[in-house]
Amino acid sequence: MRWRSALLGALVVVPLLVVLALGFGQDPHAVPSVLQGRAAPHFALQSLAGTTIDLDTLRGKPVVINFWATWCYPCKAEHDLLQDAAMHYGDKVQFLGVIYQDRETNVRQYMHGRPDHYPQLFDPGSRVAIDYGVAGVPESYLITAQGTIAYKHAGVLTPQLLHQYLDAWTAQGSQPTDAAKPLREGTAP
Amino acid sequence: MMGAHIPYVLTALLATATQATPPVQSTAPAAAAVGSAPQMAVPPVALPTPSGRDQDDVAFNIGKQLRCPVCQGMPIAESPATMAQDMMRLVREKLAAGQSPEEINQYFINRYGEWVMLKPEARGFNWLVWLLPPLSLGLCALWALSYVGRKRPGLAATADPSPVAPQPPDPYLAAIRREVER
Repeated sequence: MRWRSALLGALVVVPLLVVLALGFGQDPHAVPSVLQGRAAPHFALQSLAGTTIDLDTLRGKPVVINFWATWCYPCKAEHDLLQDAAMHYGDKVQFLGVIYQDRETNVRQYMHGRPDHYPQLFDPGSRVAIDYGVAGVPESYLITAQGTIAYKHAGVLTPQLLHQYLDAWTAQGSQPTDAAKPLREGTAP
Repeated sequence: MMGAHIPYVLTALLATATQATPPVQSTAPAAAAVGSAPQMAVPPVALPTPSGRDQDDVAFNIGKQLRCPVCQGMPIAESPATMAQDMMRLVREKLAAGQSPEEINQYFINRYGEWVMLKPEARGFNWLVWLLPPLSLGLCALWALSYVGRKRPGLAATADPSPVAPQPPDPYLAAIRREVER
């Protein structure tokens, strides 16, 4: 009788422990990405400068899309890293910032006097954010020259991660010729 | 015999009237078949389309099943978050464009995965979500029954009025009794 109780208890407790162990091993806010390995959803958005950027016209070079907002503190920390990276890789990689639920005046005010090495795009109605499965900011998408989403990163990017992907992608052609300063280390908190 | 067919005829006529086909085409042959309606031009009637209220209901029902990605376990239909409202707007637009609720759900699943569905579809690994709770409940019930079954003989033993074996007298109490009786 005792072994039967132990077996019943184990049948109830063990699955619960497994579920809890799996749950605690993951970030509860992390939303799994199903877009990795798929074609990047198309968009054509207007930039802060007033020009329309069409993703299809960028086919042939890697693209880094960063969803951000001025009200998001980690985004600001990441912004400097991305500006440095955009300068470092020059025209070998196209960086794009997509403003996520923010006001144009706030963005203009924030960008005023700051480095501006890549276009910042407005996303009315969060259409592009929804198309990319954004669940918060900052989130970044690394898209290959063929237009496939290779990696989605939720949270602040690190220089190591950018180097890991972009160096490999740009190494196939000539090395980045921009003699600007390298990616700022330790920017990410 | 004819009377038995009346409900079917009425049903068929009602069904014809509720179809989204031009009323001139659908009612004229029916009238000719009955033979009582005059052969006159029928003014075109507006097609019966789902009202805005109906579409709102459908959109709300879809939104109740979709998880708000920036909230804590809330459906987009009930969340005040801007992102959820943007998603609801998209649901309404897709409905208005003629997409079915299944197509709209699939659109969001393609972007956010099965995670976006608050009520996961019962297939594959998702079966665990549906089967584990009743299974656990059943196991708990089994355990409770076996526990009660084990306890019952003990309870019966305590309720049994059979005489208890006499305990040996406490020497301390016996000494007190002797002192009192002296």
